[in-house]
Amino acid sequence: MAYSTKVLDHYNHPRNVGSFAKDEENIGTGVVGAPECGDVMKLQLKITDQGVIEDARFKTFGCGSAIASSSYVTELVKGKRIDEALAIRNTSIVQELNLPPVKIHCSVLAEDAIKAAISDWKKRKGMAPAEEKKSAEG
Amino acid sequence: MVQCPSCARLSEPRLVCPQCGGPLPAEIDSFAALGLTRKLVIAPAALERAYHDLSRRIHPDRFASSPPKVRDASLRATALLTRSYRILSDPVSRGNYWLELNGEKLNQNNNRVPPDLAELVFEIQEQLAEFRAARGGDASETGDIADAIAGRRRELAAAIEQAIGDLNRNFERWDARGEHDDLAPLISELKALLSRIAYLRTLIRDVDRELDSVKAA
Repeated sequence: MAYSTKVLDHYNHPRNVGSFAKDEENIGTGVVGAPECGDVMKLQLKITDQGVIEDARFKTFGCGSAIASSSYVTELVKGKRIDEALAIRNTSIVQELNLPPVKIHCSVLAEDAIKAAISDWKKRKGMAPAEEKKSAEG
Repeated sequence: MVQCPSCARLSEPRLVCPQCGGPLPAEIDSFAALGLTRKLVIAPAALERAYHDLSRRIHPDRFASSPPKVRDASLRATALLTRSYRILSDPVSRGNYWLELNGEKLNQNNNRVPPDLAELVFEIQEQLAEFRAARGGDASETGDIADAIAGRRRELAAAIEQAIGDLNRNFERWDARGEHDDLAPLISELKALLSRIAYLRTLIRDVDRELDSVKAA
């Protein structure tokens, strides 16, 4: 399959790959995957007490589109408030990366990774993970 | 009801006409195709017997000189029977099929990966990346990583075997449920087990690809 230039760029030069140090504070980790294709995506967000995403890291095992989607998302969320990050929809990832219909699930995975990471951060901060339920049902 | 293309009589949907023994062009699920009740536990011997008995009775060779309608029914019934046998003979595909019959899909609302499994995926994938990077370099170092990966392969194979054992034990428990029991918890447990197996199988496939590419080189 022909990947778009933007997918190839993120795939060949992924941004923010890796993990934060285990002892670092204010980190929310979301791990999501697609059982049928075996893709697994880990997104970590470093979030200030004011709820602003300072930094992001990802690790993804899967196809080029899954890697590009998560790489793009790490750039997209930096500097955003968590409510803004939670408002990111997979459609904007699809548009930005020009993903073909068969790869839309990769963008859904990236959207869900943001939600999972933020709800993990909230849980660590002792806040009720209100978004968790909504996204699990959506 | 389905009409028999051989004797024109009507019967309940099934693959063999109870009146004349001819093949029926029935659209039925895989359990019904093999004449089995919709239970998750299937004795392999009973499945084999049903499959061989039915396939003999509807085999296209027996209807080679029959009218086109009958020949067509025989071909379609045989295709359905073969597909059904393949689905039901493997516990994993049987479990997935059962989910579908209950209006569910493995990928539906099911993208959280259990932490222990995620850790295993990352560990093994990183080992494989290390292996790819080391290849062509120091032979003894590459050999060490290859040994470690072969060890991982055995671990994965054992984990899959264990998960399939769990699946079979759960099948028994689920079949014993009451008629009015809520299906939701059962379905979510089944999805969790089948997802674990799917992730493990992807991993073992990736491991095999690396190990094979070494053998090929």
